[in-house]
Amino acid sequence: MDQGKHILFRHRDIANIRDLDVYLAHGGFEAFKKAVTTMTPQQVIDEVKNAGLRGRGGAGFPTGLKWSFLTKDSFPRYVVINSDESEPGTFKDREILTHNPFQFLEGAMITAYASQANTIYNYVRGEYWDVVAGLEQCVAQLYERGFLGEKLFGTEFKLDFYHHRGAGAYICGEESALLESIEGKLGQPRLKPPFPADKGLYAKPTVVNNTETVTNVPFIIQNGAAAYRQNGTEKSPGTKLFCLSGHIQKPGNVELPLGVTLRELIYTHGGGIREGKGFKAVMLSGASSVVLKVDDALLDTPLDYESVAAKGAMLGSASVIVLDETVDLSWVILKTTRFFKHESCGKCTPCREGTYWMLSILERINKGGAAKADVELLQNVASQIQNKCLCPLGEFSVTPVLASLKAFRGDFDAHTADGAPKTAPKKAAVAAGD
Amino acid sequence: MITEILKGFVTTGKVAFQPAQTIQYPEQRRPVAARFKGRHELKRYDNGLEKCIGCALCAAACPADAIFVEASENTDEKRFSPGERYASTYEINLLRCIFCGFCEDACPTEAIVLESNYELSYTDRHDAIITKDKLLVAPATGQPTTPMQVEPGTFDRPVPDMKNPD
Amino acid sequence: MADQVTLTIDGVSVSVPKGTLIVDAAKRIDNDIPVFCYHPKLKPVGMCRMCLVEVGRVMKDRATGQVVLDDAGQPKIGYGPKLETACTTPVEPGMVVVGASQKVTDARDDILEFLLTSHPLDCPVCDKGGECPLQNLTLRHGPGKSRFIYDDKQKNDKHVPLGGPDDALIFLDRERCIQCARCTRFCDEIADDHVLGFYQRGRKIEIATFSEPGFDSKFSGNTTDICPVGALTTADFRFGARPWELTTSASICNHCPVGCNTTFSTRREAKSGGKQVIKRVLPRQNEQVNEVWICDKGRFGYHFVESPARLTAPLVRKDGKLVEATWDEALTRVAETLKAAGSALVGLAGGRLSNEDLFAFKQAVTGVGGKALLDAQLAGGELTTVVGVSVGTDLGQIGKGTAILVVATDLEEEAPLWWLRVKAAAERGATLIVANARPTKTDRHAKHVVRYDVGNAVSTVAGMLLEGSSEYATAFAQAENALVFYGREGLDFAGTQALAQACANLLIETKHVGRANNGLIGVWTSANAQGAAELGLTAMPATPALLAAARAAWFMGTDPLGDGRLTQNDLPPFTVVQELFLTETAKAADVVLPAAAWAEREGTYTSGERRVQRFYPAVPAPGSARPDCQIIAEIGKAMGATRFGGFPAQVFLEIAKTVPAFAGLNYAAVSAVAPQWPDVGGRDQYYGGASTTNLQGLGVQLPSAAERGVVPQAARAEAPKLAHPVGTMLVLPVAKLFDRGATFAPSTLVHPRVPAPFVAINPVDAERIGIADGDDVELALDAATLVVPARVTADAPEGVLLLPVGLGVDTPEGPAAARVSKAVRVAV
Repeated sequence: MDQGKHILFRHRDIANIRDLDVYLAHGGFEAFKKAVTTMTPQQVIDEVKNAGLRGRGGAGFPTGLKWSFLTKDSFPRYVVINSDESEPGTFKDREILTHNPFQFLEGAMITAYASQANTIYNYVRGEYWDVVAGLEQCVAQLYERGFLGEKLFGTEFKLDFYHHRGAGAYICGEESALLESIEGKLGQPRLKPPFPADKGLYAKPTVVNNTETVTNVPFIIQNGAAAYRQNGTEKSPGTKLFCLSGHIQKPGNVELPLGVTLRELIYTHGGGIREGKGFKAVMLSGASSVVLKVDDALLDTPLDYESVAAKGAMLGSASVIVLDETVDLSWVILKTTRFFKHESCGKCTPCREGTYWMLSILERINKGGAAKADVELLQNVASQIQNKCLCPLGEFSVTPVLASLKAFRGDFDAHTADGAPKTAPKKAAVAAGD
Repeated sequence: MITEILKGFVTTGKVAFQPAQTIQYPEQRRPVAARFKGRHELKRYDNGLEKCIGCALCAAACPADAIFVEASENTDEKRFSPGERYASTYEINLLRCIFCGFCEDACPTEAIVLESNYELSYTDRHDAIITKDKLLVAPATGQPTTPMQVEPGTFDRPVPDMKNPD
Repeated sequence: MADQVTLTIDGVSVSVPKGTLIVDAAKRIDNDIPVFCYHPKLKPVGMCRMCLVEVGRVMKDRATGQVVLDDAGQPKIGYGPKLETACTTPVEPGMVVVGASQKVTDARDDILEFLLTSHPLDCPVCDKGGECPLQNLTLRHGPGKSRFIYDDKQKNDKHVPLGGPDDALIFLDRERCIQCARCTRFCDEIADDHVLGFYQRGRKIEIATFSEPGFDSKFSGNTTDICPVGALTTADFRFGARPWELTTSASICNHCPVGCNTTFSTRREAKSGGKQVIKRVLPRQNEQVNEVWICDKGRFGYHFVESPARLTAPLVRKDGKLVEATWDEALTRVAETLKAAGSALVGLAGGRLSNEDLFAFKQAVTGVGGKALLDAQLAGGELTTVVGVSVGTDLGQIGKGTAILVVATDLEEEAPLWWLRVKAAAERGATLIVANARPTKTDRHAKHVVRYDVGNAVSTVAGMLLEGSSEYATAFAQAENALVFYGREGLDFAGTQALAQACANLLIETKHVGRANNGLIGVWTSANAQGAAELGLTAMPATPALLAAARAAWFMGTDPLGDGRLTQNDLPPFTVVQELFLTETAKAADVVLPAAAWAEREGTYTSGERRVQRFYPAVPAPGSARPDCQIIAEIGKAMGATRFGGFPAQVFLEIAKTVPAFAGLNYAAVSAVAPQWPDVGGRDQYYGGASTTNLQGLGVQLPSAAERGVVPQAARAEAPKLAHPVGTMLVLPVAKLFDRGATFAPSTLVHPRVPAPFVAINPVDAERIGIADGDDVELALDAATLVVPARVTADAPEGVLLLPVGLGVDTPEGPAAARVSKAVRVAV
């Protein structure tokens, strides 16, 4: 993003915006005040609907629409912010929570007003204990200044904010498992229906939103839907935080409008591939991605939800893992599968047994001594898991496996006694800067 | 007519001096085929432990209902077989048995095997019910007999040497 | 027929009530969709993914909501992109479900293959083999050859005791567990004992117990029935026998008045010298009594039948010593003496005897002019014959609109399955009112918890008749249906009569008598006290006064000397004892007759809900022991008092002729069965493993006198006075399920779970007297002085000590005042 134009990473434009007074000096909490004192909850929902804001946690579901699903006449309601951020390759929410916390808090608070909820829970992964310590101080300050608590701005609206730390489970980033975790139960996903909008936390209507999603809300309320739509595309408006990691020259977060091309993201903002190597493959949504083989067509693809879906992948949380020509995809898949096997909650059979099985096959392949039949078996087992799992974790554990086997089969066969090609594999298709 | 009579005498003479086919049983015994199904035996492992784990699959498979099995628990102080379970009672009623070998096929540990002993006669019907002590083979020389005391944790699995097929 | 939904499953149309799950709808038409985690008695979770089926729904236009039609004018069916779990999907009108397609078969094969990857190759050593749903489904869907490398299998702990190695009743094999969560859900949803849960996650997920002692639940054995694999097994049946080697016999549990339907599995084995022995007890499905559950006392409490201490031959006293005699000699001696005693004969029978025994007993004793009584501590039996529950009563059907009053009893300790059913009724909306002097587990689900001072049960119930006196009184009066469970906590015998009367008055005044799901239920201390009441035996506890004028006494199935209520001096000149064991009373008797236990003969019991249920013989009686009714019939005939034959079926026909409530009944009627729903333990064995189908009888409920036209009358209920002098505390005897009674003590495997004698004392009192947890306490009662270790707990109300009955300390009959002090250990 150009300097001074950040919507989410305003700390990169304004120094010390994590200081409440600095935040207030730059228009902080005016959106919240505007919503609470001059707008009805329905008007807030409509504004966000018109802005076309979509969930930034990975699913890309229209946020305003999600808020409107809350069951009428059922109270109390809850707003739960999903700051679990456990997808490998994702570190965007951490930057918001650490450096621009008040905008996030304000966004969550407006969300609560729109949902007619009086309690917000921010579920933060346990590993971010230091981030939570800082956030709790921010919340204490808000209570002191009268932004949280009873009778806000002289209205009847009261609001409380609580932090809840996770304890090291990726599955608790899944919304129903997250709610179970807050309730003190085993972090396993629930059956849906009922959906959280109907029976969520403590069986009451609940809105669950990602950190980044709600951080967009103050801008929308302050400046209007049209202003928000200045960035991004028709169907994917606004800006997105892209997390760059892997073999990239400049890893880290960058805020860009949705629709920026992959080429621009990697080469202009990311500095290109490390050591000028060839760009072999990319995973756009962290470990849960369809691994895409990089070619010119892919580099010119705009990164918005629709265009990426057209390529057979998902933009998800935009956790872009860059893989250069030296990477052996079977090693990458070993890593992702080990991750999913470790994080599987164990509730449903295909994920619990299937990830374990896939891992044992992949370990054999990577260690050497496997046969081509083992790679076939891996394909088979992964297909067996697909479409049978209780929650998306199981499904996504299979996505990178099947995609890599399709696009980079040679990397796997190279490990087998009877599948290794006679000639050396071709170099990665694309050189730097093309 | 004389030729016929003479032919007969020649045949008699020829055969009279041929070596006899008769086997002088019981001093001589004819060897049996490799897969001969004779009297049963309960086998042991090389370390002396019994192979039989008291699963009663042989009793279930037996078409003549000739086998009776009762199982009990192994302890490391008094161990009969590897794993948790052994046969504390094992009886075969040889009068019922039809020597079909289904028990041998059903056994998961290759414990019950039909061997080559066919000399099975008794003067009392009760003697036809052979009990475990008569079925169990002796341990190999130098190996302890069961029950034996073992190091805790060494024989946790009922089939210790299991390998992947092919 | 409103709210019925019609759908098609594999081409067959079926109509089921709205809200039915696909898997149950399929069961109705004998289409067995395989399941592991689903159980019809538990909430569905959709975890195992075995029940995946193709689900097609009627397509509706998004904009107009109209049904889309195809070319033939039929509603178009849209199938979902993925297979759905049949156990979590409710049916919809016009739905099309496909389970018989290649896609679904492949899915089942896949899921089963996953389950088998780390499932150990334990079938030969696993107790579940032969009744294992996983085995059965593997035969249908399993791969013939495994693609999973054996060495990669997850190894886990095997044979883990849920508890200590010496006190565990249930063992867990973590490798066999397929993580279906049936056991944890049973404990949470049905037993309300949160003692089992999951630990760890992913492939390492395992079951763990979170209580001390481990798996501390009175219903723990039920998890071994519903576990679809051999992960949970009982210590009792470990390596007992293979299911196909067992013979089954139907029976009724004889420990408490619920009358749970059970099945004995027996085998003739060499270990027992060629005898037919009982290997295990399983529940038998009876949706109106115990559904598919039994408590651990019923499951593990049968060993007394095979105790080596059983009497095997008649004994006659000669020269001051009891010596073996022939039946002829013994019976002749008895008949002569009892006939001579005539009206000076007192007959005392225990409540665990069958209807046939008690009827024959009454006819024989009264036939010579004597008195036939039931040795019982809870009165009110005759009231339950009038205002007891009527035909059609089913605790499983009541919910909103019914009030249940539970007074002066701890249901979970005294009648566990009633506790379970009352709790379920409360969860369905029934108004549960629990009245007691102390907290009990039933309080958890009560809408109203009523606390009264010890002994004030009667006035509390009587007070409910005052209009507007309390919220719960109003709720009870205004409920459409009402049931009252009454016990004897805090009351002596006379007090229980008063309580029963007060409860009866309440039901009569509020018009809750004479129809189904209304009436009075006594929480008896034995299995057939209700039967005794129905047959007209007056309840009377054995006291010296009772026998003061007697010249002969006939004790059948009761041991007053052993219970400490009588001494040898109280016995009349001639005593006959008909028993299973050589009890204290038997040792002092002149003639001892060996009786057959209930598992060795047939007969009927009447449950507390007035249901007559039949039990069948499972094993032969030891020695020459005979069924009680047979012995009595012979004596009766010899005395000229009775004329009927001694076989239970014959006696039952006599009962039907003589007792109005039993009119028209015979064994065939009592053994009648009907298909039950849910179909548990059927041919597919999916929901259980061990078969619990009921093919031997659902029992018949007796019509109450009120139902038969008798108009019940209220009568005075005199509240008992409880002496509570200043400076004393009240000792309150309380019931415990696991005790040292004669029929439970031989079950040695449960001994670690039977508490040692103790007395519970409130922390405030403990501090005042200077007692710490574990200290010995001296209780100086009028009748005796007891020294018992103390347990300091807030469960004991202030000023009251809870003294469990049956643990080996002679407890008073009712609440008694005592001077309490710390016991001084005298060094000798």
